[in-house]
Amino acid sequence: MSASKISARACNVFYGDTHAIKDVNVDIGSKSVTAFIGPSGCGKSTFLRSINRMNDTIDTCRVEGTITLDGENIYDPRVDPVTLRARVGMVFQKPNPFPKSIFDNVAYGPKIHGMATSKSDLRDIVENALRRAAIWDEVKDRLDAPGTGLSGGQQQRLCIARAIATQPEVLLMDEPCSALDPIATFQIEELIDDLAKNISVVIVTHSMQQAARVSQKTAFFHLGELVEFGDTDDIFTNPSDPRTESYITGRIG
Amino acid sequence: MTPRSKSLFVADPQTQSRKRADARFRLYGLAAILAGLVLLAVLLGTVISNGLGAFQQSYLTLEVELLESKLDKNGNRDIEEIKKVTTFGYDPLLTAAAERLIETHDIQTDLRAKDIAKLLSKSAVSDLRDFVIADPSRIGRSASFDFLVNARVDGYLKGRVTRESIADDKMISAEQLDAVDQLVAAGALVKRFNLDFILGSDASDQRPEAAGVGTAMLGSLAMMLVVLVLALPVGVAASIYLEEFAPKNRLTDLIEVNISNLAAVPSIVFGILGLAVFINILHLPMSAPLVGGLVLSLMTLPTIIISSRAAMKSVPPSIRDAALGVGASRMQAVFHHVLPLAAPGILTGTIIGLAQALGETAPLLLIGMVGFIASTAPETMGDALLAPNTALPAQIFEWAKRADPAFYERAWGGIIVLLVFLVAMNAVAILLRRRFERRW
Repeated sequence: MSASKISARACNVFYGDTHAIKDVNVDIGSKSVTAFIGPSGCGKSTFLRSINRMNDTIDTCRVEGTITLDGENIYDPRVDPVTLRARVGMVFQKPNPFPKSIFDNVAYGPKIHGMATSKSDLRDIVENALRRAAIWDEVKDRLDAPGTGLSGGQQQRLCIARAIATQPEVLLMDEPCSALDPIATFQIEELIDDLAKNISVVIVTHSMQQAARVSQKTAFFHLGELVEFGDTDDIFTNPSDPRTESYITGRIG
Repeated sequence: MTPRSKSLFVADPQTQSRKRADARFRLYGLAAILAGLVLLAVLLGTVISNGLGAFQQSYLTLEVELLESKLDKNGNRDIEEIKKVTTFGYDPLLTAAAERLIETHDIQTDLRAKDIAKLLSKSAVSDLRDFVIADPSRIGRSASFDFLVNARVDGYLKGRVTRESIADDKMISAEQLDAVDQLVAAGALVKRFNLDFILGSDASDQRPEAAGVGTAMLGSLAMMLVVLVLALPVGVAASIYLEEFAPKNRLTDLIEVNISNLAAVPSIVFGILGLAVFINILHLPMSAPLVGGLVLSLMTLPTIIISSRAAMKSVPPSIRDAALGVGASRMQAVFHHVLPLAAPGILTGTIIGLAQALGETAPLLLIGMVGFIASTAPETMGDALLAPNTALPAQIFEWAKRADPAFYERAWGGIIVLLVFLVAMNAVAILLRRRFERRW
């Protein structure tokens, strides 16, 4: 595995007085899939949102320590969260397409970042993103139809297409399959495998089977602490911490 | 606990009483709605039956000879000399015309022609004078006019004035009404639709038949324009800032509470504020629609801010997340995604605020727009904003307090015009909502 893409050092996150993330150190590799697992409320989503500074929108949220992307601290005052988010894309738990056409959904990111020089350029970017999100064949004849009219699984793939249209280096996925049926889940997992050939994917999931299926590395969070982080195979077959073992065998959580 | 009934077909006492309570509640609701509908029907019925008369007026057709001997003694058509002839100079022309009227229609009456001419509105002579001054070459010819008749005759045709009610009236006599009957039969005196009520200006106490709401409407329109230009951008900008950007702390909490409080402040307080600030300190002109518009803007702002914030709050946060997630700035997220989705709500709130402002009378009282007799229509945009004027509801109030019952009819007519505007504005609000509403 190549050098780490994202590194967190002594990372603490607070919501007002609540200490949500406690002293987390983690290295996330490039061109791989890292899964965050843990019981509800353990802070895995909070930590995920810290990686592209989505927590900035919450007034009471405060982040201490450093998180670096390619060695640069993303919480440095010189960093513009807008540029950061163009490089670190995000897919949310509930599919949230804009109430616009399928084409406009995908074209929005490239448009605001000035990535397309011409209309045909933009069309190519949109087609490419939709193809990579494995939804092109289903929507190519109705790009003008509203994105909100698609099925749940299609909407989520559309959101993935929207996220990868800006050519991010890292894609953060916050329980992307929790609202989907098994078939749609399977399609998204295939897609994650495919995406990880080029970019680094971080996925938060409640399904341990999913974590085992798609990820190379797994991090187990419990009560705001990073309990264990290592190769997925090791975590699931030979956990070193008793809490991890309890969780994956179903005794806590 | 009561034992449960064994059969599904037999309801136990508790279920029965629950069902009865249910039925009673529905009955109350139905009764409330019915009462509301009946009151609405009564209201609309009264307004329409009382006010519809204002849209019709009676006219007498007269052939007037514009005698050179009376209007231009020197015969040189000098406009300055013609202007020196006052409306008194025109009276004999009308008397002569009335005389011919009696002859042509063979009216049987003991009255002199002068008394027949008195059936006309007091505005007839000035109309005649205006007609001559507009083009002095008309002197020496004769022309046909449809003159307004005075409010008593008009009221007689509309059934408001009867022979019993004029027993002590010095303005009109039974003989005159006999002549009126004959003129109506001859087709010279007719009642027809009166566009001047909608487009015209207010008239003095003596001439209710010539009064119209047009100028007051212009005043209201100018005020609405000021409100729209000031309150909409300021209100929307304030609500965007408060809803999307402002930190949540004590200061913003305080601002929020006070905006809600402002919405509940009696409108006359805004009038006092307008008088103190805009007129006494800034020395803006009294009775000007600009000042009225400023006062109404202050009054409408809280409504617009509250409804805009509610509209923006109802946009799901996932849309903001989605926009920020692909790297939109906060402003882009607001302007590209939140505002378009909130637009129908913002527009509806604005139009309802405007409709409220349109019907507002109390604050205008203090800045001198109530009681101002708007007898001339503004000619330029500047005049429309700065020249003294009144507003629709103020005009209605003004007419309602005048003595002549003919003005009372016009007050009701003004209410119809105002209601038509309000209904139209609310219809626009509903249409906009339907047109722009999107689902997510």
